[in-house]
Amino acid sequence: MLQYSIRRLLYIIPVLLGVCFIVFVLYNFVADDPAITLLGKHATVKQAAELRKELGLDKSYFLQYVDIVRSAFTFDFGRSWSSQQKISEILSNKAGASLSLTIPAFIISMILGISLSLIVSFFRGKAIDNSIRVICIGMMSISYLVYIIIFQYFFAFEWGLFEISGYESGFPAFIPYVALPILITVVTSLGPDIRFFRTIMLDEIYQDYVRTARAKGLSERVILFKHVLRNALVPIITYIVIQLPFLILGALLLESFFDIPGLGGELLRAINSNDFPVIKAFTIMSAIAYMLFSLLTDILYALADPRIKLQ
Amino acid sequence: MKNLLFILVLSIFSCTKNNSTSSAAGAEGAQKVLNLVVTADVKGFDPNQASDLYAGNEVARVYEGLLQFHYLKRPYQLEPNLADGMPTVGDGGLSYTFKLKKGVMFHDDVCFPNGKGRELVAEDIAYSIKRMGDPKEQSKGWWLIEGKIAGLDDWRKNGNSDYSKEISGIKVIDKHTIKFTLSRPFPQFLYAFAMPFTYAVAKEAVTKYGKEFVNHPIGTGPFITGKYNQGNQIVYTRNPNYRTVTYPSEGESGDSAKGFLKSAGQKLPLVDKIVVKIMKEEQTRWLNFLKGNLDAMGIPTEQFTNVMVPGKGLSDKFQKMGVMERKSVGLDVTYNAFNHEHELFKDNVKLRQAMSLAQDRDMLNKKFYQGVSIPAQSITPPNIAGHINGFVGEYQNLNIEKAKAKLAEAGYPEGKGLPEITLHYTYNTKSRQIAEVFQQNMSKIGVKIKPVGVTWPELMKVVNTKQSMMFSMAWGADYPDAENFLQLLYSKNSAPGANGSNFSNPEYDAMFVKASMMEDSPERTALYEKMYKFVSDKVPWILGFHRVGYGLSHGWFKNYKFTEFNHGVAKYYDIDNSAKNELKTKL
Repeated sequence: MLQYSIRRLLYIIPVLLGVCFIVFVLYNFVADDPAITLLGKHATVKQAAELRKELGLDKSYFLQYVDIVRSAFTFDFGRSWSSQQKISEILSNKAGASLSLTIPAFIISMILGISLSLIVSFFRGKAIDNSIRVICIGMMSISYLVYIIIFQYFFAFEWGLFEISGYESGFPAFIPYVALPILITVVTSLGPDIRFFRTIMLDEIYQDYVRTARAKGLSERVILFKHVLRNALVPIITYIVIQLPFLILGALLLESFFDIPGLGGELLRAINSNDFPVIKAFTIMSAIAYMLFSLLTDILYALADPRIKLQ
Repeated sequence: MKNLLFILVLSIFSCTKNNSTSSAAGAEGAQKVLNLVVTADVKGFDPNQASDLYAGNEVARVYEGLLQFHYLKRPYQLEPNLADGMPTVGDGGLSYTFKLKKGVMFHDDVCFPNGKGRELVAEDIAYSIKRMGDPKEQSKGWWLIEGKIAGLDDWRKNGNSDYSKEISGIKVIDKHTIKFTLSRPFPQFLYAFAMPFTYAVAKEAVTKYGKEFVNHPIGTGPFITGKYNQGNQIVYTRNPNYRTVTYPSEGESGDSAKGFLKSAGQKLPLVDKIVVKIMKEEQTRWLNFLKGNLDAMGIPTEQFTNVMVPGKGLSDKFQKMGVMERKSVGLDVTYNAFNHEHELFKDNVKLRQAMSLAQDRDMLNKKFYQGVSIPAQSITPPNIAGHINGFVGEYQNLNIEKAKAKLAEAGYPEGKGLPEITLHYTYNTKSRQIAEVFQQNMSKIGVKIKPVGVTWPELMKVVNTKQSMMFSMAWGADYPDAENFLQLLYSKNSAPGANGSNFSNPEYDAMFVKASMMEDSPERTALYEKMYKFVSDKVPWILGFHRVGYGLSHGWFKNYKFTEFNHGVAKYYDIDNSAKNELKTKL
């Protein structure tokens, strides 16, 4: 497994070079001129040229690509063009707010999703199963934005159960501010999660080993929680771990509506203001996170199912 | 990778409070706390970079300039701020000598010896202006002084940022006196000293913080704040060492009746603390305002009919809540410009007149501006030096029959033979809808328009390279003088300059050059009127609107008078805590 892991880690290098190349191409040949965005309405051609020089945009394409690669491998992404803050500082200031929202929301969603899917699997074909399925489809049909607007209006403004918006750093000060966004995330994730997990559970429920277990007289509860759940772990792990990198990127809409100073909002700001170093940092870090979590998924497969050999 | 993990772990368990915000008023106690909102990110606190409204407002809470606009008087009037009186103008309008107030102190900061702020001196003003010209600083305010101060452009061209080198146009006479000499007369020069770009910074702070100076606000202003972390709020506290400055005791007529003079003579600032919350979503701002967590905000578009009753003002519901309305007449103009270097529009004044006559601005006003904006008759907005009230342009009002006749005279009867005209605009939903209405209006006389939505940099690219046939734009006043608008049609400012329409007319140029060197006087007003008529007839643009908005404030928010130049006005604002306690029960 160690050899496999090392090899997979080494694979990150060519992939990262590719990601850097895509970032380089998109930025140099697709994106707008950052000098115009940064200089504002009085920008002159001369000033724009001076700023491009200052930002290193007058360097040869090769050197610009090398700069991107260097920052990807050293994690030194420099400073934001618009705020002049060190990007590492921006990330450390804002990642906490994002993660305080996305991690609890994700954990609660997964626990609820898996639990409810086991229940509906247990009552498959019965009224409770059909009702939950209909509710899930209904919930999935409503736009995410609608949930935010309605929940913020009723739960926070009208009924005063939560804060309308705001944020305080540090545990447990942030809890009152992230409670409603977490609730919204959980409610909106339940539909797709339950449907996905139910399908997995039902796939397992009709396997021979379940029939054998029943024949041996095991209770339905033991069959579900001990055997079915364990055997369904591989797709569940994939589903869960593959979502983890996106937690770091924050929740763009929720952060915006609930005034949470997180990474989602920072990314949006960077895109709107052509803040290339920040965009570059987000792209490269999310690519790395995605690759690392993919490796983690493979390792967890082997742990969850001894039949899987990592070679 | 270790860095990355460290950042993640550190940040989630971080217990620092400097980014904290709370929508609840919290334990404000007896303190007067002002809760304001901004709708976009604040880019930082470097006066040199304060080119947008949001950064400008925040910079002006901490930093100050030699001059400022009188808070209450209208039309807008300059008055001394850091300067001890208005400057002495000499050499036929070429030199301006400022005396500085004595005893003005910079905020305490570790950049100064023993962490104690030192006195502001004339060298600081000289340094701050030179810094605007330093190419390494990439000041967004360079345009303001470019070509105006003798010797500064040459100093900039050398590019070595040698601040010790003498510049003929910037002379420090003594510790508290500085003299600026211009390369040509320019009466509008004084406005520069009321704009955040020229606000006084301390060399020690710039040197110590380097690139991070933008996040370390250290000025002489009425409020202080810590390091800026680009969070979701900025908290300011009263500067305990602020010099004695008092609330004005006179304003424009009607100010007394509106209660704007009740604080006359009181020491500024009037509030102890300001919390500026950055809220980008309208619903979030609106709900917070309704709960009393924000003291003021603009009326959301979709709420306008709930809040305002046509011809009456605020609806009963909002009046009972003690909410006040505030009308804001923007010093701006929106327009669709023709590219006068394009063969179709060059020397084809009749085509331009026809299109202007076909634009239904009343309909646009009702549809997109709640019917409250002012259809522009000239390129300068009301409340600006040089604006002529009651001026009506001949081609600026809807007249389809006349438009058709003009189109025929232009050689395109019913639009026959006229190629499709591309209109570039900055893409967003409202701009797209406005462009589509323009398309419909033009189709009524047979002119085919193709609206093309692009990003702002892309729009600037097509305008600057003269590739656009027509483009939508708006111009907001940098200072309250018609010259700031009239320069948009001066041929020497053609693209890539501010005259993106590339309008070029020797007669207009001569009038502009003459007017730009004249002091505000009846002669200048007469010349401006001549220019308005000239522009009105030549139709270099299809004029849009001077935009009018309405804002709301709670009854406890005092001295909240509208001003287009709201840099540094927070020191005049007041909060009535007893009224707040009472009115909050009605929300």
